[in-house]
Amino acid sequence: MDFNYTEEQQMLRDSVGKYLEKNYDFDARQKIVRSHAPWSPDVWQQFAEMGLLALPFSQERGGLGGSVTDCVAFAELFGRHLVTEPFTHSVMLAGAALAAADGTDAQAWLHKLIAGEAVIAFAYEEGHGTPSLDLVTMTAQKSGECYAVFGEKRLVVAGGDAQALVVVARMGEGGAPALFLVEAGAEGIQTRAYPTIDGRSTANIRFDGVRAVLLTGADQQLDRILANAIIVQCAEAVGAMGALVTLTSEYAMTRKQFGMPIAGFQAVAHRLADMKIAYGKARATLIYTTALAESGASGPRDIAILKGQTGKLGRAIGEAAIQTHGGVGMTDELSVSHYHKHLLACDAMFGDHSYHFRKVGQG
Amino acid sequence: MNIDFAPELEAFRREVADFFASAPTPAIREAGRKTTSVFAPFKECMEWHRILYDQGWVAPHWPKDYGGTGWSVEQRFIFAEEYRKADLPPLLPQSLGMVGPLLIDLGTQAQKDLYLPRILSGQDFWAQGYSEPNSGSDLASLSCRADADGDDYIINGSKIWTTYAHHANRMFMLVRTSNEGKKQQGITFLLLDRMDYPGMVVRPIVGLDGFPEQCEVFFDNVRVPQSGRVGAENDGWSVAKHLLKHERGGSGGASPALTRYCERARAAAAQTPSPFGGMLADDPVFQRDVGELEADIASLGHFEKLAISGHEVAQDPAFPSMNKTINSELIQRASTLMMQVSGVDSLARQLEALRVGSNVEPLGSEFDLVAMPLYLNSRATTIYAGSNEVQRDLIARSMASSGAGA
Repeated sequence: MDFNYTEEQQMLRDSVGKYLEKNYDFDARQKIVRSHAPWSPDVWQQFAEMGLLALPFSQERGGLGGSVTDCVAFAELFGRHLVTEPFTHSVMLAGAALAAADGTDAQAWLHKLIAGEAVIAFAYEEGHGTPSLDLVTMTAQKSGECYAVFGEKRLVVAGGDAQALVVVARMGEGGAPALFLVEAGAEGIQTRAYPTIDGRSTANIRFDGVRAVLLTGADQQLDRILANAIIVQCAEAVGAMGALVTLTSEYAMTRKQFGMPIAGFQAVAHRLADMKIAYGKARATLIYTTALAESGASGPRDIAILKGQTGKLGRAIGEAAIQTHGGVGMTDELSVSHYHKHLLACDAMFGDHSYHFRKVGQG
Repeated sequence: MNIDFAPELEAFRREVADFFASAPTPAIREAGRKTTSVFAPFKECMEWHRILYDQGWVAPHWPKDYGGTGWSVEQRFIFAEEYRKADLPPLLPQSLGMVGPLLIDLGTQAQKDLYLPRILSGQDFWAQGYSEPNSGSDLASLSCRADADGDDYIINGSKIWTTYAHHANRMFMLVRTSNEGKKQQGITFLLLDRMDYPGMVVRPIVGLDGFPEQCEVFFDNVRVPQSGRVGAENDGWSVAKHLLKHERGGSGGASPALTRYCERARAAAAQTPSPFGGMLADDPVFQRDVGELEADIASLGHFEKLAISGHEVAQDPAFPSMNKTINSELIQRASTLMMQVSGVDSLARQLEALRVGSNVEPLGSEFDLVAMPLYLNSRATTIYAGSNEVQRDLIARSMASSGAGA
């Protein structure tokens, strides 16, 4: 067994880390969030130049043939810097859906995505955390050469700004879920864009008979795409947790009350210890599950454990970080509250921890 | 990253499983099912120890030159998993997990030659003399004295919570050899060759579960040779800290045993009606609770596997404290779940039926028989080996010096 990043992965991680430290500190991040743009086009272009947008795709598809571990290696840093650019949704989900399809449309859009020329959204969520493909209700009906899709998607990350959307819908009512490509601005689309609590640009989108091209309907592919994206999203969450543990312990060592650093009070010290324990558990689960996935041996139970643990432990770390910071932890000015809101979002999306724990318990 | 799933490993798994299916005697199997503590029933546990010794598998975590198996990390985990699936009594940790590895690292050649083969073969069983009536969490305040006298020490004082001292034939202990300087500086680590030195008295203490697992050991002018010292005089605290590294055990960690607890709770829940209709195993609240517990156990297993493979998580100075805290609290949660599933059927006090070889028919199932003693005994896990309050102090202190490790 070897759970270390390879030398190549470590190099990639180092170069992404250096870039983010220089260009994506908390102030820079807040400038992006407060701007009128949904994310920073410069940063996105930089990701393209670093090859991050090409990394998970095979070389035949114009990608770099990277593994899920490669993506986890830098996604932890995305979490540490609260990167708002839609990597997981546009690359790990929409991009992977395009890469799974053979049509020329799909390849053209994938090419643009890899080059940083287009952002593609992934329209999946229907309003309940949609933890499983089984819960998708949106439908597609055959319409000439193509399909027409009907229904509503919510919390579509980058949904108001993307040039195209990958939509998950059933082949007719009660049919199997499949992936469809829809162009932004197509007739019958109604979009209501809004920001999330963690500074991301999202949209609720109604589809009323919108023209759609079938990408793929293979359920094993769908499961794999979702599983890899969940792993990468969990990596972002674990990165955010690590940052919160560091920030909070540093704060507790320097903040003085009653004439001494508050870390010297056992009640505070033990909360710090619990934060570190939670982070250790979450990170070990992330690393092990990633290694399992890379070996092709991860199953639904492994993913449910990772998603459940990351959700539960992330929220616990965020709440403990705010409590330890006291009043300033409640403000918009400090990064602490932003990490917490990002962790809440990571928990809620793709099924919260209660859902996943019950799935584990069902056996 | 890679996890090896080579076909040879499946052959190894079969070899181990076949051995566990054929080698243990019925009494050993019964002892495994009736184990309600970290410490299995002594007699059968040592019988099993000697069978594993004959097979060459008694100390997978020892270096190969000293009698270890030389297995890969994967093999050690497979061994641990199959061990737990077979419900066999866990081997006692004091000799194999604590004083043995310590002597390999720090013992003199004479100490190694004398003691290591006898630990492996199961001829010797060692008790651990650390805590005292007035020195629990604050272990370094210990006051059991050893005064140098010629080639000997004269020991006066007492030790407590000395697990299975009434079964042991040797003992390792911490004694105070100086009152100068910091309290940690005057402590010495001693090996005692016998438990029946003149002036030495062992008194078993009956625990809340009804069993005499712990003991108190009294020393009244007990004369022991100085050749039993490990490390320098007054340097016993660093020897004891070194030993802590080994306390996490080498048998593949605690997660397989915890998984077994959950399996037993699930199996019992499938036979237990829910007051809300249907069976307890199908109850959403039960599923949510057992799922959360199993996820936490899985995370502990991942933590253990990363550590044993040499990942950076284990280099963290707080790792032993984190591991102990997680592991001990999960033992409590898992045994609590078992007790809750058993419900009123766990309330009967059945000490005789729990004895290995007993002719007394248990009330209810074997699950009901063990659920309450296991729960009661597990209250100790967050107290022993440094209470979890002390562990959390250590973890928080490590964050002051190294940050969080993020």
